[in-house]
Amino acid sequence: MTEITKDPRVIIFFAAVIASLLILAPMPGEGGLQTRLKYGLDLEGGSWLQLKLQGAIVQPQLDPIKILEKQFGDALNRPVEVEWRQGSTEYTIAVEGRATKAQVDDLGYPQSTVTPRGNATRITISASPVGVMMNYLQTSLDSDVKYLGPDPLSFEIRSNVTRESLEEILAVVGGTLAPGDAGFSEGVTEETVDETKQILDRKLNRLGLADIKVRVVDNKFILIDLAGVTVTDAQDIVGKPGIFEIRIQTTANESIHVLYGGEIVDVSLPTGDQSGNWGVPFTLSEEGALAFQKAAIDTGATRNRMDHEVSMHLDNELIFSAPLAPDLAGSLEVAPLRSMVAQVGGDSQRAHDLYIHLREGALPVNVEIIGSGQVTAALGDQFKKQVFIAGVLAMLAAGLMVFLRYRNPKIVVPMVATSFSEVLMMLAVAALLNWQLDLAAIAGLIVVIGTGIDHLVIITDELLYEGKMPSGKVYLARLSSAFGIIMAAAATTIVAMLPLFGMGFGAFKSFALITIAGVLIGVFIARPAFGRIVGKIMQADQ
Amino acid sequence: MDPETFISKYEPKKMVAISLAVLAVALAILGFTYLKTGSPVNLGVEFTGGTIITVPVVESEGEITAKLVGYPVLDIREVGHRFMIQLGPMDDAEYRELSAMIDAEYQDPEIKYMGPVYSKRLQEQAKTYIPLSFLFMAVVVFLIFRTPFVSMTVILAAFSDIVIAAACMTLAGVDLSLGTVAALLMLIGYSVDSNILLNNRVLKRKGRTEEKVLGAFKTGIAMTSTTLSAVFALFLVSAFSYLVSSSFTQINILFDISVVLIFGLLAGLMNTWVMNSNALRWYLARPKKAGARRHKR
Repeated sequence: MTEITKDPRVIIFFAAVIASLLILAPMPGEGGLQTRLKYGLDLEGGSWLQLKLQGAIVQPQLDPIKILEKQFGDALNRPVEVEWRQGSTEYTIAVEGRATKAQVDDLGYPQSTVTPRGNATRITISASPVGVMMNYLQTSLDSDVKYLGPDPLSFEIRSNVTRESLEEILAVVGGTLAPGDAGFSEGVTEETVDETKQILDRKLNRLGLADIKVRVVDNKFILIDLAGVTVTDAQDIVGKPGIFEIRIQTTANESIHVLYGGEIVDVSLPTGDQSGNWGVPFTLSEEGALAFQKAAIDTGATRNRMDHEVSMHLDNELIFSAPLAPDLAGSLEVAPLRSMVAQVGGDSQRAHDLYIHLREGALPVNVEIIGSGQVTAALGDQFKKQVFIAGVLAMLAAGLMVFLRYRNPKIVVPMVATSFSEVLMMLAVAALLNWQLDLAAIAGLIVVIGTGIDHLVIITDELLYEGKMPSGKVYLARLSSAFGIIMAAAATTIVAMLPLFGMGFGAFKSFALITIAGVLIGVFIARPAFGRIVGKIMQADQ
Repeated sequence: MDPETFISKYEPKKMVAISLAVLAVALAILGFTYLKTGSPVNLGVEFTGGTIITVPVVESEGEITAKLVGYPVLDIREVGHRFMIQLGPMDDAEYRELSAMIDAEYQDPEIKYMGPVYSKRLQEQAKTYIPLSFLFMAVVVFLIFRTPFVSMTVILAAFSDIVIAAACMTLAGVDLSLGTVAALLMLIGYSVDSNILLNNRVLKRKGRTEEKVLGAFKTGIAMTSTTLSAVFALFLVSAFSYLVSSSFTQINILFDISVVLIFGLLAGLMNTWVMNSNALRWYLARPKKAGARRHKR
């Protein structure tokens, strides 16, 4: 027996088994002894959400002049004439009769001048061609639109829109979409997906949920796993915004409530000025503006701005605090102001964070829940017990079958032991690579127990072909013939498992992973050693 | 009947024909289902979209039906101490209301909602990936055997295993789910290993074909019976453990997988030991080719 302990295959096998035992050994952790195995939601209890980000990336061909003709023509009920000089950021609209500034404001062009000239009116709006296009897309789609770049001119539409409906909207102003996928592709940019993911991450973290996994698939699906939360709560968390509040400091440690997030009607993307100062522009409702003015005067913030800082809170957490700007403090003394900018200084990331907060954690794009579900912890526990029983029974049943076939403990014991060691090694791999064991994974595990013993039977039968264990060259030839068979079977099994990685957001990925791991462990670690060991045992017997 | 007679008594062509007839019947079942429903097997909720809820049985079926009035309930069934409720498509608001109600009313509910976007995507993936995986398997088999005839028989056996298992699913009322897809794919691996064993033994060893087939048959039966017994244990626990303890219930995923594997493994026994062993016997007994004589001696 000295020879066998020096065989590298046997050494590797025992080393792997010992390593597996060490990896799987329960360690003292929070709440008592714990193994390193991680269980999936269906065994641990929890819920999952599958969200689809609604949106599209589009490349329209649009003429801003036609857009303005249409917008102003419709709003004023008569034809208008639009003028624009190449490279300018101003459009001039000439119309017969009178027009008011309010009418222009309503169209979404706040920076404008309206000058009556005799019988006609001359309207000058400050807007770039891209600005006009965005305005048109935003108002006609009733959706956020993000400008992506000039070459080719492309936008991200942040709501559910179809190619047909967009083409209809563009056709009204003589616009078209570039042909093919370039012109219209469902999905959003990576940045938007990231932003959405970040907001979700933060929202969930603020709730103090322990074990959260947020994954992005194909740039338009976000998958969230929430341990220990019901699906109802999970849907609420994702769907409901946080509570945003603005307060003004009264004394050193106290502040008064000014307004809630509902009074913030618009938040623009953060902007940086030439000197690198970042700020987030936002607009208050009229009531909000009045409340803000009153609070600023009442607390004395307008006169002594440094001692009465304005602070912003999301779900009672302080996220921003700064004194009023001097000019703002002055203006508030006189009249309420609706447009303000929260200045954060040179930190663009902070500006971005604040932007997200100001939106009360609302997601930048509409999301549709395309799948969800839950298993409660108690039910998961039951499943765990049941699959454990299934695993033990499967092993016993397979063991019984090989006993019925060979009726020789010298074959059956190593066989069952090898099969058991394969299970141990699979679990160790799962623990080491942080795979989650869910019902699918356990099913894979049990199925692989079957295949594993199959292959041990092949090895044994090849070796015992003439009814007894051969030695020397014949033994090695037989062994390699057996391995030819199991390698081929292993290769086909692995190939067959590949589709499961992608299907249904990888719901059965764990099944495929465990199966492939089991096949590889079997072929490269356990079965070579088994071939040697059973060979030696039988030869010693003869 | 002892294995020896089984292997050598019958005329190879007849045995192959019987197996092919079974395959034809299975294909006819799939074809009929296809004409009836537009897909060769009945699609489960994951593929059609919808909601499955299971709750513990704490009331009569009538009472639970009453609570669900107004929701698109398709089916309520009692499975192992739990009601399994299957619902058709709902809009978001309706589903939220339903899940909130279920969470409030029942202890330990299990909820699974698959929207149309998810299920449509899954259908498309299944249509692309499953044939692709079969194709890869075929390539691997060709690379291993290099003999067209032998490769074709192995591939045909794997194909037949899957088709027969799928037909049995239809007959037994098991719908296509991710679990059954996984099991059908797993069958590829299983069917290939016993066929490779058979071919290796018969083509690479010396001796009388019938004897070699018999040897392979004994090993093959041992293999399939061990796998079958492990899978059967899985089936028993997933389907019937609730009879043992009132806290246990059916586990659908495991049930789906084990049932399909049982069907497929049984079909595999036929396709390997009735069809392919006889196809090989016929192939090796052909009078003309010199290569075949050498084996026959």
